[in-house]
Amino acid sequence: MLRYTLRRLSFLPIILLAVSIITFVLLRVLPTEDFADVIGGSNATPEQKDAIRDKYGLRDPVFPVTVSGECERVVWYVPKCSLDGPVLALHPHSQYGSWLIHALRGDFGTTFNNNADVRHEFIRRFPASFELVFLSLGFSVVFGISFGILSAMYRNSPIDYGVRIFAVLGTSIPEFFLLTLLIVIPSYLWNYAQPSGGYIPVYDDPMHNLRLFLPPALIVGIAGSSGLMRLVRTTMLEVLRSDYVRTARAKGLRGRTVILSHALRNASTPILTAIGTAFIAVFGGSLVAERILSIQGNGLFFFTSTLSRDLPVIQFLAVYTAAVVVIVNLVVDLSYAWADPRVTYS
Amino acid sequence: MATIVERDRQLAPMDSWEIPRSKPWYQKLARLAADNPVGAVSFVIVVLFAVVGVFGASIAPYNPKELDASSQYLGPSSVHLFGTDKFGHDVFSRVLTGAQIDLKFGVIVMLFGFVPGVVLGVISGYARGWVDYVIQRSAEAWTAFPPLFLLLTFVSAFGPGLKTVEMVVAIGALFSGSRLLRAVALIEKQKEYVISARSTGATETRLLLRHVVPNIMPFILVGFSSVFAVAVLLEATLSFLGLGVAPGTPSWGADLAFNADNQGTKYPFLVLFPGLAISLVVLAFNLLGDTLRDVLDPRLRGSTGARK
Repeated sequence: MLRYTLRRLSFLPIILLAVSIITFVLLRVLPTEDFADVIGGSNATPEQKDAIRDKYGLRDPVFPVTVSGECERVVWYVPKCSLDGPVLALHPHSQYGSWLIHALRGDFGTTFNNNADVRHEFIRRFPASFELVFLSLGFSVVFGISFGILSAMYRNSPIDYGVRIFAVLGTSIPEFFLLTLLIVIPSYLWNYAQPSGGYIPVYDDPMHNLRLFLPPALIVGIAGSSGLMRLVRTTMLEVLRSDYVRTARAKGLRGRTVILSHALRNASTPILTAIGTAFIAVFGGSLVAERILSIQGNGLFFFTSTLSRDLPVIQFLAVYTAAVVVIVNLVVDLSYAWADPRVTYS
Repeated sequence: MATIVERDRQLAPMDSWEIPRSKPWYQKLARLAADNPVGAVSFVIVVLFAVVGVFGASIAPYNPKELDASSQYLGPSSVHLFGTDKFGHDVFSRVLTGAQIDLKFGVIVMLFGFVPGVVLGVISGYARGWVDYVIQRSAEAWTAFPPLFLLLTFVSAFGPGLKTVEMVVAIGALFSGSRLLRAVALIEKQKEYVISARSTGATETRLLLRHVVPNIMPFILVGFSSVFAVAVLLEATLSFLGLGVAPGTPSWGADLAFNADNQGTKYPFLVLFPGLAISLVVLAFNLLGDTLRDVLDPRLRGSTGARK
């Protein structure tokens, strides 16, 4: 188990390295415009632009290794290169190289926008996103599993029909529509304004914190639970038909024991997978919630940086998202063994 | 033996040896619709969406971009069915023309994403090997990320606009199409009809096109419907966030965002109608996919537990 965990964790740096290289290609090689214009604004003087290029090292090659040699295209997809001299050129100063060296020390550069430390900005916004994501995930899991079980237990009953209708609606109605209604409807009907913006930690003002986070988390969580609900229903229907459930009933065990410790435990593997998927869905959904309610979290940070093409922020958040995705998948895989003793990793 | 045949003849005298004629197609269709009312309704909505998407601009009662300062924020009435917004635009006309963007978007994503994805999936499931490995690993990596984060990263590289969104959503559709069809092709190629067709000397190409593809058609249709739903949803989300269509273009997502920012709390109907349009179309595509799966492939019935 420990060896398996360590082996899986050893892949993490490789994946993060790959993601950082891909984002560098995407963000620095492919775009055609001059980033000095983006940073300096349209009315920057040539001297100011030069200063910006020096400061952010925009004159350096993007990658430390480049392929040199003259190339011409024979057909449009076949380049023919003359290989005189060294083919690979090494550059001591490159944009990716200096980013990587600093990143390994935990320094992710400064934002293009206002020269703030990226890591510091990220940490400042982290609690808001964290609270939103985990509240939503909590609602998603509680709601999805409980109603999924109920729907399977009382098949073809009104509860079952309700759950099935809800599951289709949940995948069809966009989150941004529900979240906009959250602002619009209470204000129109009851003159109640859903608070937005600002983050107040739960230990400073629990009531305000709750008013800010509970409604969007309920919407993101419950809307995101439809996939989980469907899956719990199907797997439970299969498990409830099995012989060991009938045996457990025949032994005279209580219904609750049969459902929770015999049936649910055996259905745990696909359900845990679906919880991992729900986490990723909620992680994305919280971005929309942060944008609509202007909650100062990392989703909104990502969004505003995208608009202003703030490359250092996007690079960091891309690597961070990859790390979150990899770690969530690892945790899900490890939890199989915890929930189902038959699963072993060796 | 002869006596048994004679007795059968006596029990069921037949006037002619003709095989009973099958019912005409419209009777079959009516029967199908009566058996699946939800599917029939969603099919009608999908067809309506396509019609409005093509002809919406010409059947709209008002010019969706015309400014009219005298008719700001009018409530729904017989003159303006869905009311008017800040600029006096007729919201009903904007909802009708907004379908155009989504239809075009969906068709582009399907043509350049889903269809190649299906081909790729069948080939990689059928042929296996390293091509299969590369496609499947990249598909896994791509789908592991929340689509919104991928979209934002690409938007920061290529700038906002429908082109970027189309590209990213098409890549997603390519991967989901290939994963779906690969799994189907893997099961299908083990089946007896494939083996027997091969034993009669059918070439691999003929086998694939004449035997395997018709048999997996239901899966392709089901996938088409659900991928289309995802495409419409993502376009609306990105336009809502201001990264999709150009400002001012009638689009459900962008209109919803604009109206919410401009007196949305005072006139909720402005937010409601574009939102309902998106929800209805996505819902119809999802339900149509579920119904198609039930009707075309009874083996899958209840496998996702959506209905029946």
